[in-house]
Amino acid sequence: MAVLSSSRAGVKEKKAGWQRQKVLAPYLFLAPVILFFILFFFLPVVFSFYLTFTRWNPLSTPEFIGLENYRFLLTDGQFYLTLRNTFYYAFGVLLVELPLALFLAFLFSVSRAKAFWRAIYWLPMVTNIAAIAYLWGFLLDGTYGLVNLGLAQLGLRGPQWLEDPNSAMIAVILVTVWLGLGQSMLVFSAGLEGIDETFYEAAKVDGASTNRIFWGITLPLLKPTLLFVSITNFIGVMGSFALILVLTNGGPLQSTTTTSLLMYQTAFQDLRMGRASAMAFILFVLIFLVTLVQLRLFRRGGVEAY
Amino acid sequence: MVNRYAAKDFVQPKKIERQPTFKLPPVAQLFVYVLLTIGAVIMLLPFVDMFIGALRTPAERLARPPVYWPRTPNWDIYREVFRAFPMGTWFVNSLFVTGTITLLQLVTSVTAGFALAKYQFRGREFMFRIVLAAQMFPFFLFLIPTFFIMKFFPLAGGNNILGLGGTGFLGSYAALILPFLVSWYGIFLMRQFMMSIPDDILDAARIDGCSELRILWNIVVPLVTPALATLGLFVFIYHWNEFIWTMTIARTSPTLTTLPVGIYLSRSVFATPGQESLLQAALAVSVVPVAVLFLALQRFYVKGLTSGAVKG
Repeated sequence: MAVLSSSRAGVKEKKAGWQRQKVLAPYLFLAPVILFFILFFFLPVVFSFYLTFTRWNPLSTPEFIGLENYRFLLTDGQFYLTLRNTFYYAFGVLLVELPLALFLAFLFSVSRAKAFWRAIYWLPMVTNIAAIAYLWGFLLDGTYGLVNLGLAQLGLRGPQWLEDPNSAMIAVILVTVWLGLGQSMLVFSAGLEGIDETFYEAAKVDGASTNRIFWGITLPLLKPTLLFVSITNFIGVMGSFALILVLTNGGPLQSTTTTSLLMYQTAFQDLRMGRASAMAFILFVLIFLVTLVQLRLFRRGGVEAY
Repeated sequence: MVNRYAAKDFVQPKKIERQPTFKLPPVAQLFVYVLLTIGAVIMLLPFVDMFIGALRTPAERLARPPVYWPRTPNWDIYREVFRAFPMGTWFVNSLFVTGTITLLQLVTSVTAGFALAKYQFRGREFMFRIVLAAQMFPFFLFLIPTFFIMKFFPLAGGNNILGLGGTGFLGSYAALILPFLVSWYGIFLMRQFMMSIPDDILDAARIDGCSELRILWNIVVPLVTPALATLGLFVFIYHWNEFIWTMTIARTSPTLTTLPVGIYLSRSVFATPGQESLLQAALAVSVVPVAVLFLALQRFYVKGLTSGAVKG
């Protein structure tokens, strides 16, 4: 800290002083972050990569077993089931959320009282995930939940949402969409506002229909935003498991057990740290690959912004 | 003294309000509002259901079919939930942990962001790449190793120099705070905002004999206060709601329980038939503070999200 205090000596010395300060200051400003990076980023990644080659119940010392964890996982039916669930979950959310959020963004962009709508649609984003899971647990109760009571009013018979292996994942997907809809909608509406007005005017002068304007102008120009929303959503959905943990805890019959949830259970219930770490790394690589594919697909569509 | 207001406008250019692109006929306008309202009802429904449900008495719960609208609202439930659970302790824990994390993240984001934006030094490009790349690593990758780094931290919580013999940071607030000292996104955001501060202002201050720390505190921080407010609100709401890490730690040391986690870890108590109102009241207590904070300050919150998103 002594370096940072200004000296009261002569002009010449002072100038040398602040130059020295200017050289040292960035390192001092960055010091806590560098320390954090080493302790809580670099070290964990290396440590957990090492753990993937070990068998470790934290009461003992890690035992080196080479690639055994990977061999086990790549031949394990349960692991593949969770991967299937993970992709079903992530793509399900994207498939429902993107069109819905885009549609809502259009409605939002032509409406008044934006702050009002924004506040309502964003409320789930500031609500803790345990509360969201419990609130929807009440609503989705097969017999007395508001959802099925509402469906009954329409003459429909709703499924036993969270108790039926066939519908539990659908329920989880719908809750996740509900949770992320506001955020995607707002990012889309920011993207819509970013499109230059003159494109629309030119198209209208040329007599283009609203339909053609959407497919020919809005959608292509919205591609960077679409890419941003789909990638961030995808990474988020594939990696998060708090909602499922509270809502179904992976059940019934493991129909909602995603890979990240299985990783958590393997680590903190079964205390198999090596195997769980291997799962985390495999999932991380998969997320990375899917992100690359998404980037590729959109690049082919002529987006160079990312 | 620098004219703060002129410079602030420079950092955060005023947004020009745009007219809607398409002029819709009145019928279509009505249609827009009808659809938005239907959506809004669906967004609010779970919360409304929670507030109504909390007021039901156990008898109304146990009736078959259960009563939906409570006949005489049982407002006492909110007093009862504080009696049945250490909600006060959880609340204070939430507030303390979240407040500390927010403060520390703001400090590290400002100092690191300033260094990356306004100094030339060896390793700057490398550090900036780390800041960008680190954001791509999902949190689940850190869950297991960080837990054991906390546990085997040398010389903490009775541990010896090798990190053995004690519980490390696991029993203390440090376990909840340390892994979140730095926000890579926060550093990135601050750096982006500070890039647009003219170097001339800083050099002028240097020639006047201002120390680097004073430059940061007296010139740079006032200029980025709006961005700081946004980031602070972001971080506060995110960490108030943080669940997985806090739950993992609190399972081994119950004194560190925060509000959302406490409700989850007490789920066996709430599961008693007829006691669901207690759960809904507890949930309301965990949801309302952040919701109010968000509604009061939503202007800052929204600005931060969309600027981060569009600039990518």
